[in-house]
Amino acid sequence: MTIATLVIVAVQLSIFTSLRFAGVVVMIVWLWPLAMGLAGLTALSLWCALVAGVFFDTHATTPFGLTALVALLLAYGASRLGREGVGDLDSAAWWVTPLLAAAAGFVAPVLFVGASFVTLNFSLWRDSLFPAMVVNAVAFFLLARPMARLARWVGGLGGARR
Amino acid sequence: MATDRSRRRTWTLSLAALATIIVLYLTTGVSSGLRSGANIVVTPFSWAVNLIAHPIGHMLAGTVNYSDVVAQNQKLRYQLGKAEERANQGWAYARQLQQVTTNLDVPFVGSLPTVAAQVTALSPTNFAATVTISKGQDSGILDGMPVVANGGLVGRVVAATANSATVRLITDTASSVGVTFGTGVTTLIVSGRGLNNGLAATSVPLGTSVTPGTKLFTDGLNGGLYPAGVPVASVKTVTLTPGAATYNLTLKPAANLHYLSYLDVVIWEPAA
Repeated sequence: MTIATLVIVAVQLSIFTSLRFAGVVVMIVWLWPLAMGLAGLTALSLWCALVAGVFFDTHATTPFGLTALVALLLAYGASRLGREGVGDLDSAAWWVTPLLAAAAGFVAPVLFVGASFVTLNFSLWRDSLFPAMVVNAVAFFLLARPMARLARWVGGLGGARR
Repeated sequence: MATDRSRRRTWTLSLAALATIIVLYLTTGVSSGLRSGANIVVTPFSWAVNLIAHPIGHMLAGTVNYSDVVAQNQKLRYQLGKAEERANQGWAYARQLQQVTTNLDVPFVGSLPTVAAQVTALSPTNFAATVTISKGQDSGILDGMPVVANGGLVGRVVAATANSATVRLITDTASSVGVTFGTGVTTLIVSGRGLNNGLAATSVPLGTSVTPGTKLFTDGLNGGLYPAGVPVASVKTVTLTPGAATYNLTLKPAANLHYLSYLDVVIWEPAA
């Protein structure tokens, strides 16, 4: 699981950093623990959130730990839903997982900026917050199901039936 | 249904993770050590991903942009022929060096020595406008040194390792530059608003004779972060909110920060 998470971080740094949409980076280091959480893998999703966030933060100049904190919040929220079967690929309607992921992608940049206030950094909100919210929401919507399948497979739950 | 035990385990893991982040954040030394360690751990994975992803990416890009690739190929063949011609004349290297210096267009740094470096990576996050360059402390680059290219100020070095450095662009939201214009009587503070949003200056006194197109240069005040006279931006719009006692300016950076491939690091340290 840790190895898979490090590969996700590497994909984020090598591919998604260059592959920008409207100048915005799609944060799959947030989507990965979210998908794990929606699969109902609570402890693993929190672990993935921490590993992905901390390793990503070591490569960014933003306050250390913010990405990890947002990833942990998303993972915790998703795992609460995942344990109730909401967003599960087998039992829920096909659009539930993408919709939840899109909502998370929309909210995540706001959480990031909100968390930056805790570190006494009051300048991040001036950046491209709204484009980051929209692009991440769309990207999370599109990538949610493939990522959830990958999470289930890596987490040893097997592929979804549909 | 979650058992008490698994719920306890989740809470313990969450609290431990949060505590780890807070401790790492508060102890800067530890976090800086961790950054180096994490780089070492992630590098093999990044290398492997690049090894797989780049050929696929190139194949896809080649398929989608085939006509462009053909056109570029023809252009490159032409340029290659020209380059070979120059190489045969024996002074190609000297001339290329001169061309690169001209392309960088940085006459304003005057007699200050510079180190040319290539941009190797962009910021991985949406909330920091930074670039990584190919040279570091081994080439004399230190924290705080100004960086210029494409006709103006680009930013300053905020972290340097032996062979690379991170440059915070002037458009980063954490960046601010002291500037002046015209006769140099008025000084303003220019702040970054994110890579896609350019620059801004607020609280500009009403008596200031600033109009769209006015060029702004670093003020070089004692204790400033930049040497004097480096072009920073030109005024795009001047806004006066009704009832306000000051102008707000939106500015266009003098250097094109969206297409940075080579930069010049000015070997100049801010005065203590």
